[in-house]
Amino acid sequence: MTAEDSSATARELLREFPVVDGHNDLPWALREQVRYDLDARDIATDQSAHLHTDLARLRAGGVGAQYWSVYVRSDLPDAVPATLEQIDCVRQLIARYPSALRAARTAADMEAARAEGRIASLMGAEGGHSIANSLATLRALYALGVRYMTLTHNDNVDWADSATDEPGVGGLSAFGRAVVREMNREGMLVDLSHVAATTMRDALDASLAPVIFSHSSARAVCDHPRNVPDDVLERLPSNGGMAMVTFVPKFVLQAAVDWTAAADENMREHGFHHLATTPEAMKVHRAFEERTPRPVATVSTVADHLDHMREVAGVDHIGIGGDYDGTAFTPDGLNDVSGYPNLIAELLDRGWSRPDLAKLTWQNAVRVLGAAEDVARDVRSTRGPSNATLSELDG
Amino acid sequence: MADLQDELHPPAEVGGLPQLLGAVPELCASGSDPDADLLERARALLAAHPVADGYSGLPWALRHLPWFDLEVGESAVDTDVPRLREGHVGALMWSLHLPEGLDGDRAVGATLEQLDLVKTVVRNHPEGLRLARTAGQTTDARNCGRAAVLLGPAGAAALGDSLGILRSLHALGLRALTLSGVSWASAAGLTRFGEEVLREMNRLGVLADLSGASDATVRRTLAVSKAPVLFSRSAARALRPHPANLPDDLLAELGAAKGLCMVPLTAEQTGPTVRDVADHLDHVRAVAGAECVGLSGTYDAGTAHPQELGDASCYPHLVAELLRRGWDEAGLALLTWGNVQRLLRESDFTAKAAQQRRPPSTAKIAELDG
Repeated sequence: MTAEDSSATARELLREFPVVDGHNDLPWALREQVRYDLDARDIATDQSAHLHTDLARLRAGGVGAQYWSVYVRSDLPDAVPATLEQIDCVRQLIARYPSALRAARTAADMEAARAEGRIASLMGAEGGHSIANSLATLRALYALGVRYMTLTHNDNVDWADSATDEPGVGGLSAFGRAVVREMNREGMLVDLSHVAATTMRDALDASLAPVIFSHSSARAVCDHPRNVPDDVLERLPSNGGMAMVTFVPKFVLQAAVDWTAAADENMREHGFHHLATTPEAMKVHRAFEERTPRPVATVSTVADHLDHMREVAGVDHIGIGGDYDGTAFTPDGLNDVSGYPNLIAELLDRGWSRPDLAKLTWQNAVRVLGAAEDVARDVRSTRGPSNATLSELDG
Repeated sequence: MADLQDELHPPAEVGGLPQLLGAVPELCASGSDPDADLLERARALLAAHPVADGYSGLPWALRHLPWFDLEVGESAVDTDVPRLREGHVGALMWSLHLPEGLDGDRAVGATLEQLDLVKTVVRNHPEGLRLARTAGQTTDARNCGRAAVLLGPAGAAALGDSLGILRSLHALGLRALTLSGVSWASAAGLTRFGEEVLREMNRLGVLADLSGASDATVRRTLAVSKAPVLFSRSAARALRPHPANLPDDLLAELGAAKGLCMVPLTAEQTGPTVRDVADHLDHVRAVAGAECVGLSGTYDAGTAHPQELGDASCYPHLVAELLRRGWDEAGLALLTWGNVQRLLRESDFTAKAAQQRRPPSTAKIAELDG
């Protein structure tokens, strides 16, 4: 197949089975850039100067469903109120662009959106801090339409360890398991991106429903704590869940991982925190970047992860979660949300079959949400809502 | 549409009752108690025009019970399904107010927990209770023999000073908000952000509750609000000088604005007897008008109640007293049910109209009040 052929085939495939993307941070970008002034970032017009995401590029990218992240920072005290504002932002976007977006709360809604040619819009909360240790707040988020919650962000929560923090409770605490069970009861997917491998394993033990990784790649291909180790990928078939590959260069490309580590070390040597963004810190960082050019990931880098994940987890347990507008840098060829056809074309060139690609882009994600709904129906018939508290269970 | 006609022609229903009302005391010989007869008439009337109660503190009261069953009966609180039936309560506003000290960021989370509790309680009592948002849903619930539960009022602190949070709470079912106790609705009145909150409430259909609001806030709200406002717990200050009670000039203004003053059944605000409560209802009706007076049980809110009005089953005693005073059925129907229906419906109409004109507001408190 020539390059043009596979590109055309990819687009044709995506028309039938569009992409379900597991993670897009547009709401946070709108909050940070324009304080939710949706006129100032009208995504019905070209926003490529400011954002990875707008409606025309979503269409060009063959996106059929999007989990919009309602992420809020974990280092601030007002996570619950801020999460409600993020949810309001997504609801406003859906109300504002009704011919392009459709609110979706179920697998059936996703199929209906696909049939109408609209983008099913779901929500995912990114980090257990968004529920402030309250199962009632978890249920309120579900009632507002949130359909997955990542158990942690970059920092531990009281009841679960993050991949990028020091070990705390050593995975999931007793209350953490209660959170997972309550999510099962509601029908909210347990998202294991960002969590420590110990938390992944504990959550797989505790969850009655399929779990997801909304934006994580394979640790065997690129050794970064944000990626999924093979022993966890191997458990996805029996769990029924899925890992959605992410594109973030500093997670997927080993050279970029090493470069980032060196850049952080350089910052610390100059007496700055590695995430500092003061003018002096940025000057030091720019000087480093001039001496040592930033390695560039490509479509092929991401395809390598998918090849491995398909091999280890199986074709029924993989998907895509780009993390657009949640990352400053993107791979060449996957620069924004219009890039998915390039990835599909690359996979076609590598010999992926049409049925495999349909599972990767659309079918797996719809199946997983539907399975969570089925589990919720079962659990609700036997168990009422839990009001367990952190202090009761974790002492 | 059946419910619309139901409310638009309340006098038509008078004809439906003569058999019930016809049991006249004179016929019942010497053994008959005229009070018992009035009570009988009150019950018949309430069967057709149940009570829409403007304030119940049940959610917070239940939060501290380890176990309860409202279907069977729950002596630890003033409200349960058997007593709601006996009292002919067809709808209740369940307060989401929080105790003192729960403010700032904790108020938002605590309000979400209260909303969750209410939904769980209602779901666990499907034979007795049903959640409702609109006038139509309220009537539907009553027609199905359930007491409709409306969510609110919540305290203004629940918004965390954010219109986005107001919209999220509305999406969860919030129907009324009390405008007091925050920087933008204080003794000094509404700030610019406060007025923007009010406009957004109008756009969504969230009722403004002004009981406990400062005089300045009350006057500004009456001037700015496009939808009628309510006082969820206010009686007449001319009769009893309680700070939450309304002076006559405000009652007259409220009447002109077609708002609703819901008189609480509390000893503190209205007095220790049924007659005291009736005096307040007479007074509010005389000053504000028959379309602007309602009932607010204020049960389970930690206050003492007048004699004979100790729990949610006691409304027939109050209606009997009003019958004794010559209230006619049309006036009583407005008092118990019709006025709340009107308020909900007008607020929904206002919201629909406003949504055509205004997009969701992006105003921030720091920009407007900073």
